[in-house]
Amino acid sequence: MFDLTDDALDSKPLIEDVQRHGSGALVLFLGVVRDENQGRRVRYLEYEAYPSMAAKEMRKIGEEVLARWPSTHIAMRHRIGRLAVGDTALIVAVSAPHREEAFDACRHAIDRIKEVVPIWKKEVWEDGEAWLGGRPAVQPGDR
Amino acid sequence: MNVKVRLFAGLKDLVGGPEVFVELGENATLGDLELELGRRYPRLEPLLPSLAFAVEDEYRIRDYVLHDGHEVALIPPISGGTHV
Repeated sequence: MFDLTDDALDSKPLIEDVQRHGSGALVLFLGVVRDENQGRRVRYLEYEAYPSMAAKEMRKIGEEVLARWPSTHIAMRHRIGRLAVGDTALIVAVSAPHREEAFDACRHAIDRIKEVVPIWKKEVWEDGEAWLGGRPAVQPGDR
Repeated sequence: MNVKVRLFAGLKDLVGGPEVFVELGENATLGDLELELGRRYPRLEPLLPSLAFAVEDEYRIRDYVLHDGHEVALIPPISGGTHV
């Protein structure tokens, strides 16, 4: 499962997607909207994606993870649109026979999502708003 | 040839909408498109070096040769997920 949604995120379907009889460990990551960033109070966030490409890039990250940690199963879902403080923006679920590879694979997936999946967020404060830029998007030669 | 250029996040405001169409010569590359966009949208021009380009949903280098009808996306620095 590698997709985007406008709806509130629920971890249950992602857990079910990755769980196997051989899964001794299941790591679940939730990215949650915080009430402040760099000293400013956040009213809400607006997430925008390039949907077709974002889903493809998420799937590629899944393939990367499986190539590096072949015994894992991974699922990820990102919410877009308007999110309030406390809402979940991103869920990554990884199962594996043992915890080390589940933690490592999950962390790698999150780092890669922030590098290559075309999703952007606008922070809206009490007194203004701004699109946030993270790192410059990865260039093709970096893969 | 004509290509469709899609814009996201703050770039939409700089060019006045989520997509624009650009006419280019035959065998034009992404680099040629970048120059044309810089000429047409002076406010976009200083940001162009920090952008990645995608053609038909794949990241591509500036040497990539475009074809009529291609959809090109300008990818500004990504900020998905949350600040954690």
